Amino acid sequence: MPVFRWGHSWDAFHDFEREVDRLLSSVNFAFQGIRLGREYPSVNLYELPDEYLLTAELPGSKAEDIALEMGSGLLKIKGRRSEPNGVPEERYRRQERFRGEWERTLSIPDRVREEGLTAEFVDGILKVHLPKGEQSQPRRIRVSEGSD
Amino acid sequence: MSEPENISAHDQNAEAVPHEAEEPRFLFTPPIDIYETGDGLVLHADLPGVSIKTLELQVQDNKLTLFGRVDPVVPPQAVPLHQEYAVGDFLRSFILSDEVDHERISATMTNGVLKVVLPKAAQTKLRRIEVNPEPSAG
Repeated sequence: MPVFRWGHSWDAFHDFEREVDRLLSSVNFAFQGIRLGREYPSVNLYELPDEYLLTAELPGSKAEDIALEMGSGLLKIKGRRSEPNGVPEERYRRQERFRGEWERTLSIPDRVREEGLTAEFVDGILKVHLPKGEQSQPRRIRVSEGSD
Repeated sequence: MSEPENISAHDQNAEAVPHEAEEPRFLFTPPIDIYETGDGLVLHADLPGVSIKTLELQVQDNKLTLFGRVDPVVPPQAVPLHQEYAVGDFLRSFILSDEVDHERISATMTNGVLKVVLPKAAQTKLRRIEVNPEPSAG
């Protein structure tokens, strides 16, 4: 049954992934595929001698659109990712990229000097520096004998 | 076809530290959007960590390939405590229709997003062929 498909002639714009996947199977690559179905944005946390470093993938965001809030051991990052202005939905051939509002609250390690927090945003990657504070002295807790 | 190897071997950034050949590198398929405009198609690809310097975009025959190298943003001595994403490069290829004007493809890179504009080729003009009567020999 012939079905009319609008813009049919442009269907020649195909993905080539399977072929590329096959070609790469001989190369020493670990092929991961599309990273979908995850919380947005994905974050990593690293430890360095004098700071913790949090990184998040936020492609297409602008530095001024990212809000960071820090308090009581929690770091909240939020923002909004808007699609290109005024492109109607029916013009999309493919829509895989995240869009909309996002927010994540992350508990950060102890010993962080919250007031020393700095952040930078380069090439779609957010980096938050969480400087380590003074190591607190271990406190001895007396254990008293129970009396029952 | 050895094209993907050619692409990954290409390194425009002379400043970059050479990668250890033995270390396997992750390779991801970046998410994309494609939408139609009056003049053709526009493609957006999320390539966080890729800059103009580390992006390789090429058209060969009718295949458009994007490869973005991601250099580590954390110092090598950083100890991962919590990891939701692995750091790796991005690769994706597309077959272009003949209707795309390959010569006029243009691209920009902003905040880790690649935008590729694929203009439609101008419609081939109808050419009228004059039919003349064969001059009679007599």
